[in-house]
Amino acid sequence: MMTLNRRQFLKLAGTASALATLPRAVHAAVAPRVVVVGGGFGGATLAKYLRMWGGNIQVTLVDANPSHFSCILSNLVVTGALPMSRITLGFDSLINNHGIAVMQGQAVAIDAPGNTLTVKTASGNLILPYDHLVLSPGIDFVAPAGNWKPNLTPHAWRAGSQTILLKKQLAAMRSNETFVMTVPKAPYRCPPGPYERACVVADYLKRKGHTGAKVLVLDANAGITAEPEAFGHAFNVAHAGIIEYVPNATVLSVDSDTRSIVTTAKTVNGAKVLNYIPNQRASAITKGLPHDSTRFVPVDPLTYGTAKYPNIHVIGDSCTVPASDGKAVPKSGHMANSEAKICADAIVRSFTGEPPDINIATSSACFSPITNRTSSWLSANFIYGDIFDANGKVKGKGMHRVDIGEAPENMIDGDSYQDMFTWADSIFADSFM
Amino acid sequence: MDIPRLSRAALACAALLTAALPASAEPGRLLASQCAQCHGTNGAGPGFDELAGKSSSDLFNDMIEMKYGSIEGIMDRQARGYTDDQLQLISDYLSTLPGNGDD
Repeated sequence: MMTLNRRQFLKLAGTASALATLPRAVHAAVAPRVVVVGGGFGGATLAKYLRMWGGNIQVTLVDANPSHFSCILSNLVVTGALPMSRITLGFDSLINNHGIAVMQGQAVAIDAPGNTLTVKTASGNLILPYDHLVLSPGIDFVAPAGNWKPNLTPHAWRAGSQTILLKKQLAAMRSNETFVMTVPKAPYRCPPGPYERACVVADYLKRKGHTGAKVLVLDANAGITAEPEAFGHAFNVAHAGIIEYVPNATVLSVDSDTRSIVTTAKTVNGAKVLNYIPNQRASAITKGLPHDSTRFVPVDPLTYGTAKYPNIHVIGDSCTVPASDGKAVPKSGHMANSEAKICADAIVRSFTGEPPDINIATSSACFSPITNRTSSWLSANFIYGDIFDANGKVKGKGMHRVDIGEAPENMIDGDSYQDMFTWADSIFADSFM
Repeated sequence: MDIPRLSRAALACAALLTAALPASAEPGRLLASQCAQCHGTNGAGPGFDELAGKSSSDLFNDMIEMKYGSIEGIMDRQARGYTDDQLQLISDYLSTLPGNGDD
């Protein structure tokens, strides 16, 4: 196949001005190229839906790993309820059924004016030209003061080897020992996730008959940030005497060698397990883009484009979507999938010369196990339109949260536990198959 | 460089690309894609109730009932996340899709 760059083609065609009014894909001598960084729920969904909706768009998905380890369900791998294979999601279907080029490598640099991405691969650095670049790289961690070594005190807030390490440390626990964990300062990935982990770890210790074993939850926030009814009840009733919950515990320092942590509310030395989950920020690959005060990248809610470079999009955990005060868009795999579809549609429209759709909605829904037989759930929905400050005054346009709610107490049961797997299988397939 | 030959090739290439351009989005497609996280891509599973190919009026009436009824499950919450007009667009679009004949 002959390849010409856009300038060569325009020169050969000779009538650049006549072409100027045509959609961009018509000018291009090669099919429009979209490069996607990160093969999690956001990136995989974006790549798949671009191919489903986008005609001949060439899509390259860059990920450092040969498959994705899902954070969804990963707390049940920590407790041994599920094997790692249950959360290992391959890229085969994206390649074979959707025609996506998957490149294993680390995205290391963006040349925004030049529209190229540099990827470090086993065979050296490769430079990928793009018309649109979509970053769905997940989170990075903010290192605490002290001596933090995640290979000694796992966060398990990115699934994979960290999940296995935490599982091994939990399995080594015995009676009267303490599992200490932190809840990062919001915003962080998966608001209910830390509380869910506390519950399933407590349930595990109880089922193993480890009398006197405890879970100490050090929360940097003023209270439970998600599903306060379900988790409040679980902490105070279902897992009473096992979980100790401490709010307003800002982490001051961590020493992984001695498994010790100092917070503004409590200090622990020599925990049996220290599951320190650090505060979070946008992935390092976004460093050339503007960040907000929470260390994430603000985006246009209609396209997920960034302020200076509208053809560089950020979706999922690394972005901040404009929202009403106190009603932030949560960082979750489900939301990343939701945002990916808005972004994919906007990119396709840019190639056909249409403006982005404004009649859009995003959502997050998830199930949180409370024990090895019961689960809660959480639902949140957003519609594009006016967004409001704390006094109810319109402050601009964005994704306004129109509904949020958690499972009522009588629905925290075995049916919800089974629904959790139906939901997981569905979102796994919608994103990766 | 053989300019005329390359020009012809380039233009032929452009013509092929034009044929393969993305079609304009159908109304409701993007909104309905938000159902897929729990009902499968194009509403055809795997997941909860299959949506593809169901009658538009059944889908719309079910979702209106969920939206304005009491909370008996997670879908009663999700239905509150859309305007009535959006629920109509979603229902109309899903009804045009081929299902697997599952419930």
